[in-house]
Amino acid sequence: MIEVEHLSKSYGAVAAVRDLSFQVEKGQVVGFLGPNGAGKSTTLRILAGFLGASSGRVRIAGFDVAEEPHEARSRLGYMPETSPLYPEMKVREYLAFRAELKDVPRAQRKLEVGRCLELARVSDVAEVLIGHLSKGYRQRVGIADALLRSPPLLILDEPTAGLDPNQIREVRALIGGLGAEHTILLSTHILSEVEASCSRAIVIAKGQLVATGSIDEIRGRGRPEVRLVLRGARDAAARALGASPGIASVALEERGDLVYATATLADAEQGDEATERLVAAAVRAKLGVRSVMTHAATLEEVFADLTREEAAARSEVAS
Amino acid sequence: MRGLVAIFKRELFSHFVTPLAWVAMTAFLLLQGLHFFLIVQHFAGQLDLSADAGPVQTFFGQTMMLYLPLLFVCPVLTMRLFAEERRSGTIEPLLTAPIDTAGVVLGKYLAVVVIYAAMWLPTALYMVLLGRYGEVDWHVVGSGYLAVLAIGAGYLSIGTMTSALARSQLAAALTSAMAIMGLFMVGVGEFIFPEGVGRDLAGHVSAWAHMNDFSRGIVDSRRLVFDATVIALPLFVTVRAVDAWRLE
Repeated sequence: MIEVEHLSKSYGAVAAVRDLSFQVEKGQVVGFLGPNGAGKSTTLRILAGFLGASSGRVRIAGFDVAEEPHEARSRLGYMPETSPLYPEMKVREYLAFRAELKDVPRAQRKLEVGRCLELARVSDVAEVLIGHLSKGYRQRVGIADALLRSPPLLILDEPTAGLDPNQIREVRALIGGLGAEHTILLSTHILSEVEASCSRAIVIAKGQLVATGSIDEIRGRGRPEVRLVLRGARDAAARALGASPGIASVALEERGDLVYATATLADAEQGDEATERLVAAAVRAKLGVRSVMTHAATLEEVFADLTREEAAARSEVAS
Repeated sequence: MRGLVAIFKRELFSHFVTPLAWVAMTAFLLLQGLHFFLIVQHFAGQLDLSADAGPVQTFFGQTMMLYLPLLFVCPVLTMRLFAEERRSGTIEPLLTAPIDTAGVVLGKYLAVVVIYAAMWLPTALYMVLLGRYGEVDWHVVGSGYLAVLAIGAGYLSIGTMTSALARSQLAAALTSAMAIMGLFMVGVGEFIFPEGVGRDLAGHVSAWAHMNDFSRGIVDSRRLVFDATVIALPLFVTVRAVDAWRLE
């Protein structure tokens, strides 16, 4: 549904997006993740045809956004960040205007506007001036607009930014319902959002792709930890655990006659075996194993790792 | 030209629900009313009138009062067109809809031209009043309104362009007012420059001479070609400017 190849975009001397490539298949709900300033909005604006790319190609449903803008744009519904709307119009008037812009035939316009009002749950404010709406409602009017003419692809830029928890839950439920019929790409920097509504995620940092895959795959890129409480000497524990295979690093802390060890595993796949070997090594070294706890990486930790590594790698290159 | 009709309608609607258009219209009509009142008072004392210098001719041609308000009214009508959409961000959903840039620009431009024409409409009452109590050369009325429309459409086109080029409404209004003033001042050169190319050029550009001709019923096609240029060129620049935002 979306094919992005070697996309770059710079504002003057500042590169906002660098050599970004990814694909979104039909029927997926994909989270577009990254810290603030990572280039999420810029990328989505290019996908929606609002900005031109400095280089690279973007295809929506097979149509190049630069070469066949009408074909590409008529196949996507786009909600910009903060959902800008005309405050002097009523919700129904605004959607009727948008429906006309999007070439909904005159005879079907009223019906289509009604359908989208209903779907985005804004029919109760249909006759209210947009300037008088709360932020949550405005956001949903933006979604209603994106839904007009039922495009196969929805691109939503931070659909839950600035909403209160109840509104977030409503918008999430809405997106969840839409996922059945539309391919959705939504950007966010809130990770629980991705875990709640997306099947896949694309993570970018500093304008570059750092990870893509299903949520589980991305979570799997984090390194699980094993936390041990051992009775014995610190040096003995360091020798025993450090020599155990499959361990990336060990942090030790001595408290009284106990040693608290946190071992980071090198590979998540062989986590269970590595844990077994770790405990066996501790027992062989005659350390008393008081407790063993495994800790899988959360999406938050993976995200922090991915985006931090990226920044660190860049500063190394720079220096 | 996709999107032209929808944008034209929305723009027209939005002008009439915001107070600014009404304020500009009221101020404009007050001025023109005063203008007409003074003219009528002036001519009421005169017994014999030559065919070329009646109140209608004076209204359209021989005073500054007709186009001085245009210097303010045209920038005020056009300043919002693009500057406001960029400030509020609504330009983003607009330009990501499956429409043409030319459709957006023309839709917005035609809306202000219609509002401008609507602004002049009540002044037709003056002509009707004059017709009641004296003789009115309707040919002159027609050519007078044609000139008013043609000159105004050019000024509105300049305003549309500055609204697309400027970042704020205020900057858009100021630059278009300055451009219109500049164009007007070049025309004044007709009375200042010595005989020669400069004077001919100034005479060709002059809105004053333009109105003088048309207020006497002389429909000079060269004037209309000039007006068409002043309409077409800024609109072309506007389309290119809007397209260029994508490349920023």
